[in-house]
Amino acid sequence: MRIRALAATTALVVVGLLVVLALVEPPGDATGESPLLGAPAPAVESTTIDDADFSLERRKGSWVVLNFFNSTCVPCIAEHPALMAFAAREASRTDGAELYTIVNDDADDAVRDFFVRRGGDWPKVRDDDGTIAVAFGVARVPETWVIDPAGFVRLRVLGELGSGALEERLDELRAAWSS
Amino acid sequence: MVVLSRRPAAWVAVVLAAAALLAVGSLRDGGPRTQQDRIEAITGRLACPTCAGESVRVSRAAAAESIRAEVARQVAAGTRSDDEIVGFVAARFGARVLLLPQSSGFDALAWVLPVVVAVLAVAGVVAAFVRWRTAPVAAVATRSRTPRRLATAAAVVLVASGTGLLVARQSGERLAGQSLTGGIEDSTASLLAQARASTFADPAAALALYAEVLALDPDQVEALTYRGWLVWLVARDAEDASLRDRAVAGVLADLERATVLDPAYPDAHCFLGIVRFRHAADAAGAKVALDDCATRNPPSEVRSFVDAIRIEVDAALDG
Repeated sequence: MRIRALAATTALVVVGLLVVLALVEPPGDATGESPLLGAPAPAVESTTIDDADFSLERRKGSWVVLNFFNSTCVPCIAEHPALMAFAAREASRTDGAELYTIVNDDADDAVRDFFVRRGGDWPKVRDDDGTIAVAFGVARVPETWVIDPAGFVRLRVLGELGSGALEERLDELRAAWSS
Repeated sequence: MVVLSRRPAAWVAVVLAAAALLAVGSLRDGGPRTQQDRIEAITGRLACPTCAGESVRVSRAAAAESIRAEVARQVAAGTRSDDEIVGFVAARFGARVLLLPQSSGFDALAWVLPVVVAVLAVAGVVAAFVRWRTAPVAAVATRSRTPRRLATAAAVVLVASGTGLLVARQSGERLAGQSLTGGIEDSTASLLAQARASTFADPAAALALYAEVLALDPDQVEALTYRGWLVWLVARDAEDASLRDRAVAGVLADLERATVLDPAYPDAHCFLGIVRFRHAADAAGAKVALDDCATRNPPSEVRSFVDAIRIEVDAALDG
């Protein structure tokens, strides 16, 4: 009887632990979650590769899209046509989102060459010491973030952007913002 | 229970000494350290987010170098403790960058369970020895000892759990300041974002939030600009002319001060131009401010109505 009781107790403990493990939320990376979502965007001050000043908090009043990028990263190259289409659509709207490339561990000349060859005239912001990447918790590129006109972080997209995906998500966010 | 009953004081002393050492260890102060000591200690507690099994301290990956630079910056600034800096990084990259399980929450089980199991195992061995040595006597009075055994078992579980919690506190990762807001700068950013979100839905709440920001930092340019703009939106419809003029004088003072404090901030120039034109009928002054606004690339929300007013201003000047 004692052995049976011990076995039953052990089984109960194991089942309990499995239930707890099943209920614990998995790490959010795969779904693009972040503690920053719904929080004010981190303060970001830098310069573009054309030496213009950039201050994220000065862009409040516009939807802002930050795309973390490296010119040698294969998914960054692959998503470039999607970003070009996104930028063209937003430029045609009066409330168009502002797109900024955040240069991750890359040289100005390499970034410049990339955009000369492939197109894209939006600002490219330097992040030489990784301050912006750390502020947003970006470990790998590409990553894309959307910030609303009040300055709250609304969306994080991990990895390569699919064609039309960013437009779709931004339209949803705009609808929620207006309601 | 012969062994325990022969030297109860010795057993109690051993347990108390172990608990005291753990308590002292968990509360000890490491003494003064250099900035480099702090940087190495903090980066040693953080895992490189893009590598397998390397700490930020030793990794040469770009993400690890960025985190190292951020840790060095925050240590040099001297405004956050080690735990707060680790918490700052973990709040952005997630708990996966913590090399040690945390001392609280679900992670604490990683510290508590092994200790509980070890203490229970020792207690079980002791109980087995006692039972082995006293078996003939125990068979006679098993029933009378049941409450005592239950009490002993409860005490053992309590000691095991307490020891496990002390070990977790001593060895686990503590993340003070893990929240995303903390310090005046962060609270200001949060207040400003809330104010911007309620500008049109609840102007009174937005004004109160801007006032709160200006109480913290009287030179906060965004708060000065948007407080002025909101006051103007309310005051322009006031029937009492003298009241309206006094309010607008305050608005102009706020906006002009904002343009001086941060000439690169477009919104202050834009609103200054609008108020000069609409209230003071100062088309020339408005044009200067609106041109400054346009050259500073205002955000879309502001640009959408500034463009229309610029046309009116140009027409007034031509006329």
